[in-house]
Amino acid sequence: MAKIALGCEPVVGSLTPSKKKEYRVTNRLQEGKRPLYAVAFNFIDSRYFNVFATVGGNRVTVYQCLEGGVIAVLQSYIDEDKDESFYTVSWACNIDGAPLLVAGGINGIIRVIDAGNEKIHKSFVGHGDSINEIRTQALKPSLVVSASKDESVRLWNVHTGICILIFAGAGGHRNEVLSVDFHPSDIYRIASCGMDNTVKIWSMKEFWTYVEKSFTWTDLPSKFPTKYVQFPVFIASVHSNYVDCNRWLGDFILSKSVDNEIVLWEPKMKEHSPGEGSADILQKYPVPECDIWFIKFSCDFHYRAAAIGNREGKIFVWDLQSSPPVLIARLSHVQSKSPIRQTAVSFDGSTILSCCEDGTIWRWDVVASS
Amino acid sequence: MDSNSTNSSSIDSAFQAKKLHGEQETDKLGTLTRSVNQLKKQIQAERVVSVREKLEGNRKNVETHFSKLVELASSREDVSISMEHGLGNKLSARMENPLCIVNGHAKGFGERDLFNVEEAVSSATVKLPLVEKIPPYTTWVFLDRNQQMSEDQSVVGRKIIYYDPHGGETLICSDSEEENAQPEEEKHEFSKAEDHIIWMTFMEYGLGEEVLKILIQFVGGTPSEIKERCKVLKEENEARQNQNLKDSEKSVSEECAYLEQNLSAALDTFDNLFCRRCLVFDCRLHGCSQILINSGEKQSYSYISEDEMKPCGEQCYLLSRVIENLPEGLEASSFQISENRTSAEDCRTLITTIAGQPEHDHDSAGKHKVVKPLNAMAELVSDNLLGSGSKKLKSVVQSAVGTAVEDRIILGHSPTALCKDLEFVGTDENQTINDANNKFGSGDKIKQDARKNVKKMPILKEISDSKESSEWKPLEKDLFLKGIEIFGRNSCLIARNLLPGLKTCKEISKYMNDTEAATSGGDAADNGRGNMDHMEEAKMPGARSRLFRKRGRTRRLKFSLKSSGYHPSIWRRIANEKDLPCTQYTPCTCQPQATCGKQCPCLQNGTTCEKYCGYVRPISTSVQRAAKTGLGDVTVQRVNAKAGSVHALLLYGIVTLMFAAIAGCGDGSLGEPPKRGDGQCGNMKLLLRQYQRILLAKSDITGWGAFLKNSVNKNDYLGEYTGELISHQEADKRGKIYDRANSSFLFNLNDQYVLDARFKGDKLKFANHSSNPNCFAKVIFVAGDHRVAIFANENMEAGQEIFYDYNYSPNVAPIWARPPEGSKKEDSSVPQGRAKKHQSQ
Repeated sequence: MAKIALGCEPVVGSLTPSKKKEYRVTNRLQEGKRPLYAVAFNFIDSRYFNVFATVGGNRVTVYQCLEGGVIAVLQSYIDEDKDESFYTVSWACNIDGAPLLVAGGINGIIRVIDAGNEKIHKSFVGHGDSINEIRTQALKPSLVVSASKDESVRLWNVHTGICILIFAGAGGHRNEVLSVDFHPSDIYRIASCGMDNTVKIWSMKEFWTYVEKSFTWTDLPSKFPTKYVQFPVFIASVHSNYVDCNRWLGDFILSKSVDNEIVLWEPKMKEHSPGEGSADILQKYPVPECDIWFIKFSCDFHYRAAAIGNREGKIFVWDLQSSPPVLIARLSHVQSKSPIRQTAVSFDGSTILSCCEDGTIWRWDVVASS
Repeated sequence: MDSNSTNSSSIDSAFQAKKLHGEQETDKLGTLTRSVNQLKKQIQAERVVSVREKLEGNRKNVETHFSKLVELASSREDVSISMEHGLGNKLSARMENPLCIVNGHAKGFGERDLFNVEEAVSSATVKLPLVEKIPPYTTWVFLDRNQQMSEDQSVVGRKIIYYDPHGGETLICSDSEEENAQPEEEKHEFSKAEDHIIWMTFMEYGLGEEVLKILIQFVGGTPSEIKERCKVLKEENEARQNQNLKDSEKSVSEECAYLEQNLSAALDTFDNLFCRRCLVFDCRLHGCSQILINSGEKQSYSYISEDEMKPCGEQCYLLSRVIENLPEGLEASSFQISENRTSAEDCRTLITTIAGQPEHDHDSAGKHKVVKPLNAMAELVSDNLLGSGSKKLKSVVQSAVGTAVEDRIILGHSPTALCKDLEFVGTDENQTINDANNKFGSGDKIKQDARKNVKKMPILKEISDSKESSEWKPLEKDLFLKGIEIFGRNSCLIARNLLPGLKTCKEISKYMNDTEAATSGGDAADNGRGNMDHMEEAKMPGARSRLFRKRGRTRRLKFSLKSSGYHPSIWRRIANEKDLPCTQYTPCTCQPQATCGKQCPCLQNGTTCEKYCGYVRPISTSVQRAAKTGLGDVTVQRVNAKAGSVHALLLYGIVTLMFAAIAGCGDGSLGEPPKRGDGQCGNMKLLLRQYQRILLAKSDITGWGAFLKNSVNKNDYLGEYTGELISHQEADKRGKIYDRANSSFLFNLNDQYVLDARFKGDKLKFANHSSNPNCFAKVIFVAGDHRVAIFANENMEAGQEIFYDYNYSPNVAPIWARPPEGSKKEDSSVPQGRAKKHQSQ
């Protein structure tokens, strides 16, 4: 890594917990034998704010967090293909308001499950290889974006089943795409990152007519004029290894590699020369023992806090809005030793869930501080 | 780091304070260290503050947005479900009636067995029906013609991290010996804060060695870098001060500013971005900044004798000559002409409408103002040429470029047509004004004059035009030179096409004569238009050298000797061709005068001269005849050619092929001999992209395969294998990556390039290998480029899968056929920061 120039140093957080909040394990479940790769609360529909879904192996399970650490099992889905191994899940919502679960994994097929009817809604075949992450556009929750090993990011309309845009080509990723995220307010903007060590910001502004067209498309989805977006508006080389998770924090980007830290940086684009620009690294949130890839962090609804697990089963909860960064809490339990692939933070940050390589789900609840 | 600059004043003061404090000369350096240290701390503190401010600003931005999202989330309701089923939303229903409930352990849990969800809910699990998955592929972009790899896509010199799906580990592989050679040291980039420190220090302490040492401690970089930076800063500072002065002065009319510019600067985009081989801008195949080769093939403009020429307008030099040649007493007639200008204008409007040419706006002084683009071509060119720039310049350059591109196509027709029209109307009208006899009577004189004038085209240099009443701006001069290049000494055409509204025909003619007079010493002997060609040639080198000077930065691909002998195992090759790969063709720059002889680079490289080369012999009648008799003759010529003359013969061959191609090779409609066997002109189909429809589907063997839509005959051309052109060095590196991924789309093209269809290509990249193939691939030389064509080896049915022999280098089997290597590479290259998806056991 190049030396950081004077006056551009990031503010690095201290690993001493602030003790502002305390969390305690209130429940744990064994879902199956296979590793759990994703867990996600439903932030799309306020009726289901306490409902979450997990994926692992060929199954998708829906739970509800109740008072007193109680977890209710609501629904369970299993792919008939035993070789399927889901890597990611995201909540979405159909035009008619039905809650949808969108999951993808090693088979490269996106499964859209209609949780309101407990049946498969649609399956999207098209990705050339496994799917590493799916995210939903909160402003238009029937739009989802998927990141795949086939080096592309694709935008789908779950309502009509159309692949609207493919973000790949001349300026695209040169290895697996591991993570993707919608900008919170700029509906045209997404950020993706992957095994080519870069984070790329894409704009679909010029292609928005196709997005609109996808809602009114009545012909076969395969006949839709899917467009390639070949050039990102910004490419950042913030990391020197796989970048396995990125999220927008307002106009800034939180991303992590395998360097035991989450990095917050500001993309500084040059107005008239797309693709060029520099990244100003603002803050760093250290996460010890977090040097294996495919560990994703998650945030509460308002992005006030981020929770990330590590290789040893510990969780670090960082305050995202403070500067310098404040470690809210460090969660550890003697029996939690397996790598935590992903966490989920509830709407208000009072509950943190973790899903582990050994197939367990842990629930942590905030303890009223004395 | 805006905050740094805004806060710089406070830093300044801190610095000053410190400086005053330690004024003593004795421990000047100690003071320096201290003050720089303090400065550094201050900068860092300010950075922390600025980050905090940024975050705060960002948070505020986001807040309103999230409240909107909450609103959205709470507005969701079931629209149709409740209607349809009467049961309501099943998810909501489940919340009332869950499958099972797992109680929490508020006080922790001991050795209790974990609740197993899978078993508990197995009965209520919903099955997701099987969906057949497709074979894996990497997203690729369709390419109908080969492209040069863009520099930023190179993997050479980059650290590559492999992911081994079996071990779940990643391996960083860098071929150490290769990479070590490349300088790792990056140039130090100075941040604003660092600039500030350097500047302050420099102002106070100068740049002594000791000072530099201290600076390096804080700022980094090397002494020379700091010195250099200091210079830059100094210049910037001066520039800033000058800027302030300038700003006040700056109000000169920008109207004429463009005329001061250089034409070659304006044409830079055109010269550098226009591909003369593909006739497109920004050619992805041949790249930009190609060497400009003035093809000897270029025909000289069609010369119209002055006898036949008719005045192009009232300001035409022909008219002025008429007047000059009139007996002195007849000055009155010129007066008459100007008097009758209005009627002349009428003529012109009439003419313009007749000729369908752009309108000339006309003011009373007789100056043309706005000229609409000559044609669509010109518009196209200029749009690319000048994004900005004044409209006027644009239109001027438009016509210039337009004509340059269209070359002799335009000039023969429309302008002369216009002239004719002018004459037609002009004679009618002028009969009353002008004494026609005068005009015709002086015909002989005109001729003489013409001879006199057509002397020697000098190499035009800066000529003081103080005597000129109308001043010649640099751009006008350049345009004039271009005009001479394109039209010869035809001031009518130059005025009309290159300098409309700027200079009249008469002025140009005068300038032309003046410049000649100024440069030509003697040499007045040659006369007549017969010399025009010669003059044209004599002038051209001058023009060319000017252009050459401009275009210093020719992109040359480095070719590593090391990799040239090394052919990785998995490249697709063409085997039938001798083992030697073809040589990349680069147009030679042989001059038209010098015979393109043994020293011609084309000959030395073993390629042939193409029409893009500097020297192509004029197409003789014999070649044309050969074209008519068919390809057979040419082939014979080619075969029989001996080393010395092979060059020229091949050249004829290619010209012939081109002729044959233009005549419509192959279908027999023009009476050419029927094609025979392999002799069919595959080039033409490739050139015209007359390919078969290829379908992409699941292969019968493995993965994807390419299939035929329609049935074809043996030797039919199926399509082209397109991809990115990459260097052999690059291919070596990529090959190693592809080996690991077990899929390679590399195809050996020639001695310089390998085709890689991994990211970009067409469906034929999915055609599978077979040792008993039904198709074959062939590298074909088409219009100066090597391209890979796939042909049918036998008659094939519609829907049949396409196979061809990849022809891996003998003695090396495809990588996937070999047992996995005992990985010495993996052992040696385990890096410190390697990533693992799974924890190592």
